[in-house]
Amino acid sequence: MLKKISIKKINDLAAALMEKGTLLAPVKEAAGHNFAEIKDPQQLDLDYYNTIVSPKTVFLPQKEDFVRYETAKPVAEAQPVALNIKATFLFGVRPCDAKSFQIMDIHFHASGIIDPYWQQRRDATVIFGSAFDLDIPAQDADFYQTLGIGAADPEGSDVFMVKKGEDLLMKAITPQGEEILARLAMLGEGKPADKKYFEEYIKKGSQHQTRNMCLDPQVIAKKLEDIFHSGEFWQAQSAACLSCGICTFVCPTCYCFDICDDTLFSRGVRRRVWDACMFTDFTLEASGHNPRTHVYQRLRQKVCHKYSFHVRKYGVISCVGCGRCTRYCPVNIDIYSIIQDAMKA
Amino acid sequence: MINKNPYIPIPMKVIKIIDEVDTRDIKTFRLSFLNKEDEASFKYLPGQFAELSIYGKGESPIGIASSPTEKGYIEFTVMRMGTVVPGTVTSALHDLDEGAQIGIRGPLGNSWPIEFLEKKNVVVVGGGFAFTTLRSLVNYILHEDNRKRFGEITVIYGARNPGLLLYKNELAAWQKRSDIKTIITVDKGDESWQGREGFVPAVCKEIAPSPQNAVTVICGPPVMIRFTLPVFFELGFSKENILTSLEMRMKCGIGKCGRCNVGYKYVCSDGPVFSLADLEELLRDFATYK
Repeated sequence: MLKKISIKKINDLAAALMEKGTLLAPVKEAAGHNFAEIKDPQQLDLDYYNTIVSPKTVFLPQKEDFVRYETAKPVAEAQPVALNIKATFLFGVRPCDAKSFQIMDIHFHASGIIDPYWQQRRDATVIFGSAFDLDIPAQDADFYQTLGIGAADPEGSDVFMVKKGEDLLMKAITPQGEEILARLAMLGEGKPADKKYFEEYIKKGSQHQTRNMCLDPQVIAKKLEDIFHSGEFWQAQSAACLSCGICTFVCPTCYCFDICDDTLFSRGVRRRVWDACMFTDFTLEASGHNPRTHVYQRLRQKVCHKYSFHVRKYGVISCVGCGRCTRYCPVNIDIYSIIQDAMKA
Repeated sequence: MINKNPYIPIPMKVIKIIDEVDTRDIKTFRLSFLNKEDEASFKYLPGQFAELSIYGKGESPIGIASSPTEKGYIEFTVMRMGTVVPGTVTSALHDLDEGAQIGIRGPLGNSWPIEFLEKKNVVVVGGGFAFTTLRSLVNYILHEDNRKRFGEITVIYGARNPGLLLYKNELAAWQKRSDIKTIITVDKGDESWQGREGFVPAVCKEIAPSPQNAVTVICGPPVMIRFTLPVFFELGFSKENILTSLEMRMKCGIGKCGRCNVGYKYVCSDGPVFSLADLEELLRDFATYK
């Protein structure tokens, strides 16, 4: 099913989606765009490159309350926090980010114990993917091509959107996508010429140039195992690293979290919050022992987790080449260069 | 997991607290279930652990020290931490009185591989405080319903001094039984100590358990493990037949939070029990025995 709408009328689309559920889309903030709830249809904005923080925030919010308690009361009286899930439309997700959800799905609900929060949010959300503008060169940091992701790759989206002049073409990719497009009365039918444009755009997207190297998951996984104990290599790569953790916070596939109790005057909430393997105390044990006291050990953990351990455990690299970690690193550490150097080491 | 939401603890009542050692910093907590349905669904095996939860303080992953053959309660032996970094949860546990309520999440992790151990001789080697899930295993094997399924059982357990031995009454009872060989040693005895003196590795060497159809299960401080493993190599135990249980800082306990990641394994959900052959496959920035 291919539908279309004039970009001038995009606010009508926003209003219709807001009627049917929560609409989340890139919203312009002081420093750039970030996904946020659209409260006014006029806010919907198609003029962005990508968001600062990845849309993982939608399924794995920075804070997630588990249970409310009072320390003076019996444990049995603690109240689990209801999730209160509503139908959600996640609008304008770039192809690399849509792919990241599939990678995170393997971890959160396709293996072992299911994470109820991730799963319920995922099930309630329709992803409206959006192609990068192929007339604009990819930003220097991006390398999604290396991970086999095209600039107009519909994989991971329920509906995929491509701009065609004054129009926005919207194609249903999954049954959920079909269902929502059928319910949006303001959309026009795509013509055969639109269909052709859409298909060609997707093909052209796979040629859209980002930084690119030939990378086989099994080969890089093995390579990183081989150089794991090369202190020199990792110390050189991490020499500038401040352990600030911004790379993990903006990353669409970093999921490490802490569980902590926040109590004030005997009332409190147990919640999970994002954590980062880049932080000194991430592995600090109550005995005082800390297996990763050095910065190089922590950067090595991050890189190897994504490009080696994840491949061995789940079969896929846990990186989509969105370039955020490189873009926002205060000291210009670039995971692409680390992988490139590792392949040569 | 028994709770639908694996992050929410189930309520338990502390029904007994036992001071285990002279230094008063290790206590065994006997907990009973507040809800019958929780008790019915809490099915565990020796070697598994649970997250002990005190609201306002946090959670701490602790091995289950009781055996599943003991009905009506579960036990955890906890050391009060906090000499280097604050042992918030363990200190709070130690401050509890009998009758208090706490939460637990579990059972978590794999277990000692019971089926693998069946029909084999089992050599249990423990050091100091790291004897809790070994005690669970020994009591499980010794239960009259299970004893026939296992070959000879040898326990070699050591502590720095007699006052630091855990489960003293049980050890004495094992020593009186004929279906288990129990060797207790201390690094240095006191005036009243009648038993053996010597480090665990040296005692293992002296006892020299046969590797024929045998598996050894080793838990102890890193220094003990480092010197004990070579003894078992020399005796001819293969790496598949040397088992241990790892510790690592944990939070979720269900393989999601990423904290206890070592190589491509999560200690909490892929372990904590690993064979030495498993461990050699992992990338070990945690090397303790080499």
